[in-house]
Amino acid sequence: MKSTEDVNRVMEAYADMVRRICFVHLKNRHDTEDVFQNVYMKYLLYEGSFESIEHEKAWFVRVTINACTDWLRALSRRKWVPLDVLAEESVMPGDPSKEVLEAVLRLPEKYRDVIYLFYYEEYTAVEIAKILKKKENTVYTWLSRAKDILREKLGGEWS
Amino acid sequence: MSSARNEIQKGMENIRATEEMKRNTLHYLEAQRDRKYRGIFQRMPYRALCYAMAVICIFILTGTGGYSVYSRPVSYISIDVNPSIELAVNRFDRVVSATGYNADGEDILQHVSLENISYLQAIDRLLQDAYYSRFLNRDSPLVVTVVSEHSDTMLEQINRNDTFQSLDAKTYSSDTACMEEAHQHEMSFGKYRAFLELSQYDDSITVEDCHGMTMGEIQNRIRSCQGHGGSRTTEQHSNGHSGKHGHH
Repeated sequence: MKSTEDVNRVMEAYADMVRRICFVHLKNRHDTEDVFQNVYMKYLLYEGSFESIEHEKAWFVRVTINACTDWLRALSRRKWVPLDVLAEESVMPGDPSKEVLEAVLRLPEKYRDVIYLFYYEEYTAVEIAKILKKKENTVYTWLSRAKDILREKLGGEWS
Repeated sequence: MSSARNEIQKGMENIRATEEMKRNTLHYLEAQRDRKYRGIFQRMPYRALCYAMAVICIFILTGTGGYSVYSRPVSYISIDVNPSIELAVNRFDRVVSATGYNADGEDILQHVSLENISYLQAIDRLLQDAYYSRFLNRDSPLVVTVVSEHSDTMLEQINRNDTFQSLDAKTYSSDTACMEEAHQHEMSFGKYRAFLELSQYDDSITVEDCHGMTMGEIQNRIRSCQGHGGSRTTEQHSNGHSGKHGHH
C-alpha cells in the first residue's frame, strides 16, 4: 500500500490529467468523481514500483482510460451525447475552444484518447501505442481518422 | 496543425480537478487505508479469530514451556541431622521443592521457606535458623549428600559457607539409583546412603532400624564398626571435596 506522502504527491501531479481523461470519456461530473476516486484507489493498492516519473504518468493514463471504459461498460452507457458534460464545465459561451471540445467529445471513444494524448499531453504516436498497448500503425490510423472527422466538422486550421 | 493543438490545449486547460474533488478523494483513500488496517476483525472474523488463537497458543506454550524448564529439577541435596530434608534444584541452581523425610524435617519446613531461592541461600537460611540449630551438636553432625551431574562443583560451593565450615559437617555425593531406592523406603537419600555404608559393616542392620535412628547415631555405628577393624572404606569427606558414592 502506497504511503500518504506518495498519494498526496501523485494527487498534485496527475489530478488534472486524470480529470481530463475522465472528461473525454464520461457523461457527467458525478461519474467523473467516482472514476477519479477509483483511479487513486488503484494507485493506493498498487504494489509495484515505477521506473521513472514518465512510467508513473503513463500508468495513470492507462489506468484512467481503463477505469473509464470499465465504468461505461458497467453502466451500459455506451451511447451518450457529450453535451451534458461540456455544459457542466466552466467553458465560456462563444469560446472557440468549446466548439473544438464538442467536436472532440463527439469522436468515437478510441479516437478521443489518441487526440487527447497526442494534442494535449503531447505524447508521440509511438508512446501512445505503448500506453494503450496497441500497434503503432493502429494509433497512426486512429489519429488520421480522428483528424479527418475534426477537419470535416471544424474546417479551418484542421484542414 | 499547431493551431489545432492550441485550440485543444486551450479548451482542455479549463478542465481541471477541483480542490473539492481532490480533498474528497484523499479523505476517501485515508478512510480505505484505515479500514484495511483495522478492519480484519470485522471483515474476516474467522481468520482474525484463528490469528488470535494462534497467538494465544504460542503464548501459552511458551509460558508453559518456560515454567516446565524452571520447575524441572536436575540436582538434589539431602540435608540430614535428625531432621531429614531434601531439596530439588533446577538448572538455574534454584530450589524448586523442599521435602521433609521425617517428622523433624517436616516440622522445620513448616516455618522455614526454602523454595525459589538458590540452594546456597537455602542451606544458609536453614543453618541460620534458630529452631534448626538446636539439632546441630557434636553428637549429631550435619551430613549433606548431593545427587547431580555437577555434584563436585555444588559440594565445593556448599563447603565455602562459613556456618557450614564451622560445623563438623560431612559431604557426600550419591546417584539417582540410590535416591530412587531411598524414596521407595520413604527415607532421604542422604540417610539411605549412610544406611548402605553401615550395612557393609553390619549385615544385621535394616532400613527399618535406620528409620528410628538419627544421622548421628548411624554415623556413630559406622565409626564404631570401623574402629572394630572394618576394612571397607567409603568416600567420605569432612568439610572437603567429595567423590562419587552411591552403591546400593
